Amino acid sequence: MTGETPVPLPPARCGRPREVANLAYIVAALALLACAGAAEPGMALVPAGKYAPLFRGEKDAKEIAVVPFLLDERPVTNGEFLTFVRENPKWQRSQVKRLFADERYLSHWGGDLDLGKVDAAQPVTHVSWFAAKSFAAWRGRRLPTTVEWEFAASAGFTVAEGTKDPEFQKSIARWYGTPSPDVLPAAGSGRANIHGIRDLHGLVWEWTSDFNSAIVTGDARGDTGLERNLFCGAGSLGTKDTGNFPAFMRFGLRSSLKASYTVRNLGFRCAKAP
Amino acid sequence: MKFLISLLAIQTAAALAADAPAPKKDAELPPCCRPALPAGKPTDRSLYQLDSTWTSDVGRKVKLSVLRGRPQVVAMFFSNCEYACPILVNDLRKLEAALPKDVLAKVDFALVSFDTKRDTPETLAAFRKKEKLPVASWTLLRGVEDDVRELAALLGINYAQDARGQFAHSNVITVLNAEGEIAFQQAGLGQGPAALAAEIAKLTAPKKP
Repeated sequence: MTGETPVPLPPARCGRPREVANLAYIVAALALLACAGAAEPGMALVPAGKYAPLFRGEKDAKEIAVVPFLLDERPVTNGEFLTFVRENPKWQRSQVKRLFADERYLSHWGGDLDLGKVDAAQPVTHVSWFAAKSFAAWRGRRLPTTVEWEFAASAGFTVAEGTKDPEFQKSIARWYGTPSPDVLPAAGSGRANIHGIRDLHGLVWEWTSDFNSAIVTGDARGDTGLERNLFCGAGSLGTKDTGNFPAFMRFGLRSSLKASYTVRNLGFRCAKAP
Repeated sequence: MKFLISLLAIQTAAALAADAPAPKKDAELPPCCRPALPAGKPTDRSLYQLDSTWTSDVGRKVKLSVLRGRPQVVAMFFSNCEYACPILVNDLRKLEAALPKDVLAKVDFALVSFDTKRDTPETLAAFRKKEKLPVASWTLLRGVEDDVRELAALLGINYAQDARGQFAHSNVITVLNAEGEIAFQQAGLGQGPAALAAEIAKLTAPKKP
């Protein structure tokens, strides 16, 4: 991330009275463009907030500031991914390099450009981190960071703090306690959270840009000497919220993944700066 | 007039600068920065398919594929590290010392930094000097965040930056074969050089006819 992209004019500019004729017209036009850019179709704005990380070092801050970002309202579908592989043949099933995707990459499809029995509206799964990352770049987007994803996923149906939304809590617990169905529902069929984002829980697991930032071993025996040797700094990491079981499951899953892995119930969605 | 004079001065300076530092001989450059060995298309599992650009401690921008042709011992680190990285680098030095001369001549070492902010080429150069890492066989690289994250993912290395800017990271030593494919990996510190040395000996053994 370069951070050097031209900064669009702040939305506050929109609709301001014009003062000096020529220049003002240009400014107004630019502002309009900026406003139009913010309303990316299919994406919702996640407003600024604070995320309390699940694992943190003794000296780490209790909360991480999250700057506003846009997030896809639903996971990427098979249909969308088909368009991507059609335009980017190196990501087709028979063309992909083993370094970037394992043998099961898109194995549920009928062929390179054939969905077979798979529904175009279902979330795409059996995709590697590399494939997800390339798709996002192709759309002019990126994968969300783990912090961004977790922050968006912590929002409830009716309030920004999901922990204060009992109905939301209940529905999450239900999903994490149920195995994935054989036939996945269509992406976007879940109930929207307060930001208008669907299926962060209840459909598939999702890749994040820094999925490999979890410093826990698979079996999480935190007090072994082995772990201190495997992970620099691991000894100082502690968890803040032992009650948030779904979040533990997600961290556990992420730390067990490799970037080339493709999994039956692991998909992704894209993010972008507003 | 003043402008002309300064223009002249700039030109002279430029000409002098172009002449001044004698071009470094190959032996004075790290493995990443010597002319690449002849190579064809990378294999399907080769890390050298990556298109990312890295900067070495001598300031040159390179693709990882320049390392093709010789086995590489690769580790990721950062120079501000207090606990694990000095041990990790020490493990690599022990491995280097354990290799027979003829084997050592056929393998290179590469350290890649997690720290995209603080590990500038100058910082890496200072690290090389402090740790006395031989130029002829050690490559030190830095890259941008996305590319570091990607390489770490390929090497199976997890890392995260804490509030103080320090990195928590898994300690993994990877042996890449001449094609840039992962031939062997050892996780954990202080494991001793035996297993790595045996693997490198296998990779550098003359091919039987």
